[in-house]
Amino acid sequence: MKTVTKNWAWFICIMVLILGAGIYLGQSRRTELGKGFDYSLDEYRQVDPSLIHYTEVEPLVPTLEKISALAVAPDGKIYVGGEDAVQRFPDAGTFPIVGIPTCMAVDDDGTVFLGMQDHVEIRSKAWKKTVWMAPGGKAYLTSIVVEDEYVYVADAGNRRVWRYDRAGGEPLEIGKKDSANGVRGFNIPSPYFDVDLGPDGSLWAVNPGYHALENYRSDGVPISSWKRSGFTIEGFSGCCNPSHFALMPDGAFVTAEKGLPRVKIHNQDGSLRCVVAAPNQFDEGVVGLDVAVDDEGRIYVLDPSRNQVRTFEEKK
Amino acid sequence: MKPKEKRDRRDFVRGASAVLIGGAVLSAARNRSPRLVWQIDPEKCTQCGRCATHCVLAPSAVKCFHSYSICGYCDLCGGYLRPDAKSRNTGAENQLCPTAAIKRTYIEEPYFQYTIDEDLCIGCGICAEGCDVFGNGSMYLQVKHDLCVNCNECAIAHACPSDAFERVPASEPYLLKSDRERRIS
Repeated sequence: MKTVTKNWAWFICIMVLILGAGIYLGQSRRTELGKGFDYSLDEYRQVDPSLIHYTEVEPLVPTLEKISALAVAPDGKIYVGGEDAVQRFPDAGTFPIVGIPTCMAVDDDGTVFLGMQDHVEIRSKAWKKTVWMAPGGKAYLTSIVVEDEYVYVADAGNRRVWRYDRAGGEPLEIGKKDSANGVRGFNIPSPYFDVDLGPDGSLWAVNPGYHALENYRSDGVPISSWKRSGFTIEGFSGCCNPSHFALMPDGAFVTAEKGLPRVKIHNQDGSLRCVVAAPNQFDEGVVGLDVAVDDEGRIYVLDPSRNQVRTFEEKK
Repeated sequence: MKPKEKRDRRDFVRGASAVLIGGAVLSAARNRSPRLVWQIDPEKCTQCGRCATHCVLAPSAVKCFHSYSICGYCDLCGGYLRPDAKSRNTGAENQLCPTAAIKRTYIEEPYFQYTIDEDLCIGCGICAEGCDVFGNGSMYLQVKHDLCVNCNECAIAHACPSDAFERVPASEPYLLKSDRERRIS
């Protein structure tokens, strides 16, 4: 072999070696992160099937876009609020509004109360509109409940529940921090702040920053509370949970969570009664699972990702 | 001087002038086009972890950013605490960040402030994932431009599975969530 050819062969061999070493070193730097960098909630998505006491039946499918508010009227009709309209089931009557409601309630005579971020729109049966403005400049209304005397409105922006008379006017403030009277104030890290009425007519409000449900008299004096923290099925996880809740006729709590989407029932003392829907029954990342209960114990879950009101009945 | 020589010189001067003028025009045009740098769109980022492993720098030029205007200052911060944390304190076993780059400071009951120690952050995005799932998404990843060497072919952009890397003008090198919110509002 000629010297020149030999030299070229050596040169090519050395270059191949250098290139190979470079590729090896380059790839070895690009290893995957270790186990300590794994973030998995799979363990918490699994629910013991014996805890699931409810079964899903045919959902309500509104023709509205961007559904965001749910209410069960005293007459059993289901109202769903979405983009520019409210729809009623089972007759599917549709009533126009402007905008997307953030919450909704319906009273005995069919009057609809809509939270529209910073004000309440009251729609009579003839769909005539009255407006109550929420106090404060940063109102973000997230829940409404109506009883004979008062209308309670949860305002996540101001971290207060406003108690209006049925005629409107200046509301009473509930939830202002008052250590002397045992009011620790509402800790609302994100706009999920729900209220409902107990079987005795008293106000229940979720305090999501504490994973707590708190009971108040109509004048804002606290009565009782319970809390459950934890990723396991018995507790509430992450910040701002439960994001929504509704009271059953027997005073038990139907709760819905975000982050780890699941719907459960807790007894009056906060202990877990059963699971309605496990995390694997929802799309990953869904938020805004508003819940409502009718007199027959059927549970309705507003699922914004599927744009449906999913319905659950207790297993026979 | 002979006429041919004269013509040659004229041609040379013409050619040289054309090259000079063309160069000046090209240079001016190049200066006018904005310089671009790499940045992560937080809306597209899926916190896959490749920012930590694929940057040519070690540790990566990608760091966690924290938007205080979005943060809820939660005691039970999903970006700071492990999902299975036994208690809500600064114990290493409770912290989600593998490099302890997030500092937790008590403000008042029940609020805590979370700050990022850039020297410790490697841009793995695990805190951003936890904050996204359980919090408000106030923690997110961005390329730090005092560290980034602005490679023409960014190795992370090449490996990014969600196409979250994009070129942005160097005059506005960050895609901040808080800025976006301000623009929307």
